[in-house]
Amino acid sequence: MTRNTRLVMSIIYWAFVLYVFMPLVLMVTMGFKDSKFIGFPIKSWTLDWYLGVVQNSEVLSAFGYSIWIGVTSTAISLFVGIWISVLLNGKGFYGKTLIYGLTLLPALIPGIISAISFRIYAQLWGVSPGTGAIIWCHAVHNVPFVVLIVSARLSTLPKSYLDAARDLGADPLIAFIRVALPYLKPALIGGGVFCLLISFDDFVRSFFLGGYQPTLPVLIFAKLRSGMSPEINAIATVVLVLTGALGIWAERSMRRLNKGN
Amino acid sequence: MSGKVQSSTPALPSDQGAIPQTGGARTFWGGLVASGVYQSFSTALLSSPKRQFFILAVFPVIWVITQHLGPMLQMFYVSMVDAYPVAPSYENSFTLDNYARFFREAIFVMPFIRTLVFASVLTFCTLVLTFPVAYFLARHVKRSNQMIFLLLLLIPFWVGEIVRTYAIMILLGNNGAVNLLLKSIGLIDRPIPFMYTGFSVSVGIIYLSALYMLLPLYSALEKLPKSYTDAAADLGAGPWTRFWRVTLPLSLEGISSGATLVFLISTGYYATPVLLGGPSTTVFAETIAGFFHTAGDQWPTGAAFACLMFITALGITALFGRFMTKLQKGIRR
Amino acid sequence: MAKFTLNRRKFLSSAAATGAVLASPAYLRRSYAAGGEVNIWTYTNFVPDSFKEQFEDETGIKVNIRLVDDQGKQFNLLAAEAPNPTVDILTVAGHRFLQFIDSDLLAPLDTDRLKNWSAINPTFSESDWSTINGNKWGAPILSGMEVMAYNTDVVSAEEASTWETLFSEKYSGQTAYVLQDMMSIVMLKMGYDGNMVAYLDDPEKAAKIVEEAKNYLIEKKPLVRKYYDGGAEVQQMFVNQDINLACAWNGPIASLMNDGFPVAMTIPTEGSYGFVYTYNIANNAPNADNAYTFLDAILGSAEIGAAMTKASGFISTYKGASEYLSESEKAATSFPEEVLANMKFFRAEANEMKYGLVDPAVEAIKAA
Repeated sequence: MTRNTRLVMSIIYWAFVLYVFMPLVLMVTMGFKDSKFIGFPIKSWTLDWYLGVVQNSEVLSAFGYSIWIGVTSTAISLFVGIWISVLLNGKGFYGKTLIYGLTLLPALIPGIISAISFRIYAQLWGVSPGTGAIIWCHAVHNVPFVVLIVSARLSTLPKSYLDAARDLGADPLIAFIRVALPYLKPALIGGGVFCLLISFDDFVRSFFLGGYQPTLPVLIFAKLRSGMSPEINAIATVVLVLTGALGIWAERSMRRLNKGN
Repeated sequence: MSGKVQSSTPALPSDQGAIPQTGGARTFWGGLVASGVYQSFSTALLSSPKRQFFILAVFPVIWVITQHLGPMLQMFYVSMVDAYPVAPSYENSFTLDNYARFFREAIFVMPFIRTLVFASVLTFCTLVLTFPVAYFLARHVKRSNQMIFLLLLLIPFWVGEIVRTYAIMILLGNNGAVNLLLKSIGLIDRPIPFMYTGFSVSVGIIYLSALYMLLPLYSALEKLPKSYTDAAADLGAGPWTRFWRVTLPLSLEGISSGATLVFLISTGYYATPVLLGGPSTTVFAETIAGFFHTAGDQWPTGAAFACLMFITALGITALFGRFMTKLQKGIRR
Repeated sequence: MAKFTLNRRKFLSSAAATGAVLASPAYLRRSYAAGGEVNIWTYTNFVPDSFKEQFEDETGIKVNIRLVDDQGKQFNLLAAEAPNPTVDILTVAGHRFLQFIDSDLLAPLDTDRLKNWSAINPTFSESDWSTINGNKWGAPILSGMEVMAYNTDVVSAEEASTWETLFSEKYSGQTAYVLQDMMSIVMLKMGYDGNMVAYLDDPEKAAKIVEEAKNYLIEKKPLVRKYYDGGAEVQQMFVNQDINLACAWNGPIASLMNDGFPVAMTIPTEGSYGFVYTYNIANNAPNADNAYTFLDAILGSAEIGAAMTKASGFISTYKGASEYLSESEKAATSFPEEVLANMKFFRAEANEMKYGLVDPAVEAIKAA
């Protein structure tokens, strides 16, 4: 690889970073604008919007609620997704392609359709709207992504690893838990982050399946009715910082846990 | 459905350590296996391979049928009735008229085709834009740093779609950041109207799609042994030849899974094209949503149109998948 | 455990509320701390926080608010929940009533149970749109109208006094409007009844008129910058200077004016349409008695109406609410009498025919 291509590649990468971060920079900046609307010019600055968010229990509780929904639905998606991946990566069986296709289905249906059809479907099952219904819908929607990510890694697991475990007397379940799961860890982290992300950003499903407690996107949509204010930008920024902090904390504690082992 | 998407999808990098250290934990697992309860559980469930497979298969099959297929069938059912939701006094009946409506009224064809063209073109653009990024990540960044570089790109996605879209508006508006910058360095006198054009829609959509493209591409490229390109270089191949003859063919699987995912998902984008688009960029998702949002009893038509879009998009994906498989075979030969 | 408490409270509340309504209609009597809850779907800021606190305090009824962001979603949600909704009160725009009524989603409003009904300005409470099938269906709270909004640095007040300017070459690429709403206004501008009530017996004429309006908007399509949907969008377009002229609802524009942007609004001489947000009681509402208690309470003082206006930018339907507004708030939420005379209300009677024609026309314009 010549030095030139390397340079070009890194320029493209950083240009891409600039592209994805430009809106973010504007968002953070607008949170300091002393006006009810975002946009240029910024005549005067204020900290009030940010202070307001930190003091506003409505925003913080919506944030907590969204995190709770995200974590729970991700846990369910991971559990189901791993199980399906193991089935699909095992020996061939009649109807395997069909099961595979059905597995991917929820990821491919447009949001609004999936939300409404799920709402009707939930009624069919007697599930009333609320936290449980949102978690259920998010979990189902995220399973395909887990399967895609986990399958990719599982297909590279050398068969000899499992065989070795079996030779040592482990039954399939133990062999899976002790050998395959640790091997899948990076895929599980990747899949988990992906699921959390999608659940956290979801508006339309949460709206249709939710109850009287708003998730963060639902709250933001409602606030948007009276205009895209710096307040909303401040909320988004604070949330970004909080999730970032949570992520780092989770990573740290996981690392500590691993070391402790 | 094509089986393409499966094989090369994201797995975030890590050290390859896998075989567990059988140190201190042995006692726990050993104890568990030796315990009578577990023994009887194990014999009852896992005694024969047939039984093992049954246990393994039964839950996923039930799950996908009840959870994945169920809502879809519900939508299909709605698309075939004449009224939904039904008033208590009314008995609805089956009809295919909702589907016929699409073919009867020429006005729906335009947004339909536009959506497919948009989705194809933007999938291609996303691919071209993210490929170098993924390549850089997978091949030029130190392994221990790859995770951080990748996560860096994921940060903006923690901000909701709407907030981000409004940020794009103040970036591209007549009085937005880009125009102000161009004006201040004297490149333009009058603002360039970026907003509410095909351009602004593309900026917004590529943003959304990049996430779904980047991860499969990255994991495909990451798996590709560096020795291959090195070998090609030793044989005298220049950078372009190496790219066309080695890197690209070997990353076709990642490309095809990323493109499939992005294409299918981008036929369903709603908020971003509606907010960033202009009078002549109406997408089909907007048409579909219109049937759910406005005057009452149009759910069936909306559902029928959604089914049409979905089936067409799947068909295109299947063709694309077949084409990619052929391409791969051709190259291997 | 939690469930048991809730059910028990629910039972107590409905029993107590029924008793209370019979015994004394005055809700503010501390002696009757009814308890229970009332579930409301509404827009952000439509129930002032201070009122909510006071109401909960004085009646013991817990107010659960679910924030919604458009009419269509409310309809979809309620339709999906029917026939046993979780909601007691929802917020429907008057001209959208019929859709909800036809689907059996609303209960007729028994105005005799609201002693404060007379606190509403009769322009709104007794208007032609408000009575359907011989019943009242909602309590008007806020009113809005389609206005011509313009950037005062660029467009003169005189130019803004006619809808023609919105379609002039001079402002090509600087205009925006909501297509559905514009169809009605274009019909009005052409001298027809944009509500289409006048053509209920003559569907052919109705179709011809919609066709004419459609062709006009297709012809003018090259001049428009954006067909938008929401108030936040039109605000952002003015701030970004992407547009200088728009047909918009007065609420979002009032907020812009209050924030000091060089924007003004007027009702052009050809006329315009107004609508009213109403609180409605859902058919089969789980806490219907509490809902009446709530409605009567929120209609209780003009100050509450003024608070809603301040927060939303829409005009209060309460008698005397403007006394509680500052001068600039008044300026942004009121019009001179002679301008207001040009305004008509949206009506629902012909909606089925109208939107049967207008919706496809809108699709056709977008696709053109």
